[in-house]
Amino acid sequence: MKPGVLNKWLDVPSTDPDDARRRKLLNILLVGTGSLIVVTLLVTGLLATSPLESISQSLFRLILQGGVVSLVGILIVFVINREWSGRIASSLFLLILTLAIAFSDEPRQVVEGRSVFLFTIPILMASVVLFPWASFAMAGVTTLIVARMAVSIDIVPPLPTMLGFFAFALVSWLSARSLENALKDLRALNRELDQRVEDRTRELRRANRQLARANERLLELDRLKSRFVSMVSHELRTPLGAIQGFAEMLRAGIYGSLSEKQDDALQRVQRNTKRLLNIVNDLLDQARIEAGELSLHPEPFSPEVLVEDLRSTMGVLAEQKGLSLTVEIDEDTPQPVYGDRERLHQVLVNLTNNAIKFTDEGGIHVHIGRANSDYSNHWAMAVSDTGPGISQKDKELVFTPFRRVDDSMTREHTGVGLGLSIVKQLVELMDGDIILESELGHGSTFTVVLPLQREQRRES
Amino acid sequence: MNERYAMIIEDNEDLAIIFAEALQAAGFETGIIQDGERAVKELETTQPRIIILDLHLPHVSGEEILKGIRADPRFEDTRVIIATADPRMADMLKDEADLVLLKPISFGQLRDLASRLAPEKTASSQSE
Repeated sequence: MKPGVLNKWLDVPSTDPDDARRRKLLNILLVGTGSLIVVTLLVTGLLATSPLESISQSLFRLILQGGVVSLVGILIVFVINREWSGRIASSLFLLILTLAIAFSDEPRQVVEGRSVFLFTIPILMASVVLFPWASFAMAGVTTLIVARMAVSIDIVPPLPTMLGFFAFALVSWLSARSLENALKDLRALNRELDQRVEDRTRELRRANRQLARANERLLELDRLKSRFVSMVSHELRTPLGAIQGFAEMLRAGIYGSLSEKQDDALQRVQRNTKRLLNIVNDLLDQARIEAGELSLHPEPFSPEVLVEDLRSTMGVLAEQKGLSLTVEIDEDTPQPVYGDRERLHQVLVNLTNNAIKFTDEGGIHVHIGRANSDYSNHWAMAVSDTGPGISQKDKELVFTPFRRVDDSMTREHTGVGLGLSIVKQLVELMDGDIILESELGHGSTFTVVLPLQREQRRES
Repeated sequence: MNERYAMIIEDNEDLAIIFAEALQAAGFETGIIQDGERAVKELETTQPRIIILDLHLPHVSGEEILKGIRADPRFEDTRVIIATADPRMADMLKDEADLVLLKPISFGQLRDLASRLAPEKTASSQSE
């Protein structure tokens, strides 16, 4: 029989854990005692029928009668134990057991002979199936029975045996009481733990709710920010476009010729408008990248095109500052390269613009070619300047949006600090990498490495 | 088809004036319409050589107008230039229009582009 099935038979449905424990214990005792009686009956049966006649017929009958009555009693107690809670079944069982012991042997043997020790069994059981102190009650009952039996067969009641019963009761009481106390402590501990788990769960649930609300608010803020930036950008770009257009038309002589001073003033209007427009464009790009809305349009093109575009966009600016702008394309540069031409132009312009901004003497050198051996399947664009260089500490800051490395430079050098941040994000969007090499006093080199087309890759 | 006519559909008056000046400088006659509904009505009777189309228009959006133009064989030779400030829309409509210009659009840029489509040069610059 599987332990699960046995447990199902022995378990008693009860809401009180102590009651359930006692009644299950009683069931185990019932099954154990029942089994013992069956074994005893079988053995006595065997002995009685054996030719040796080691057991008298009268004793055999006595055992048989007692055994059968006990078995019936056990069955009744088992049923009562299943149906009724409380200690009715336990008391009944102990009573039957004690009586069965009293009549299990010749009266003399029961009072002061081989069977007297059997009385300790119900005494020990009483404290575990009833109350801890029930063992004393049981010892009392047993003493009375033994005394009554002794008197009936005309012998002196065995005083040491009777005192022994109480000694057993004491031991049993102590062990049962400590067991019950331990259980009580354990249950209290369990309750406390349950309470703590419940408290923590409640706290956790509350924290989770707060977190979800905060997250929702953040998402909403993010959406608002994106909408705000794109709306503001649109609202700024439109009038800026108009200012630029009219300034351009005036300078083109559409509305008549201008004096030199008027032309100069308009040129300043144009220059400042352009600057403002660049900032707005950077903000818009940053917002689109953050919102994941910026999509790339890769196409094959020649690196020379990039260089030409760069010269026409940045050449004048470098020249105005008295800086050289030199370009070098390695012979083994893969042709064509593949990428979003507009965005790569933006990357190159931002890097060059940054270099021009911070360089006062010397020049800017743009170098395009295969990437170094660390990036075997990439091509690279490097923009080097002869500017002041960037300290180790500041290297991490240069790609952070709205962060300017040197605050003293902020007033002097225009911009909101988005250029390099956008470059980095664009390059990462292209599955590329940007590397900054710089040393204070020795200029800076920003190298952008970008993946090559599969067929352009070579083993290295 | 009116080879010399360029229609400017743009609700911002300032920008419309700049576009008109640029197209005039390129040799076109121009008309400005600032409302989508009116543009649709106007297009029933005229077939301009160039249409400059803003997307955010009152009543009928530029996108719808573009759809109508593309479904009408009368406008087979009409060049539609979309002028928008919204990069997402620019991306989306890249293939629908002949050209998508992201605002702000410079006077000089539009003038030069339009010059290539001007009446006296149309035959030689079809490929553009």
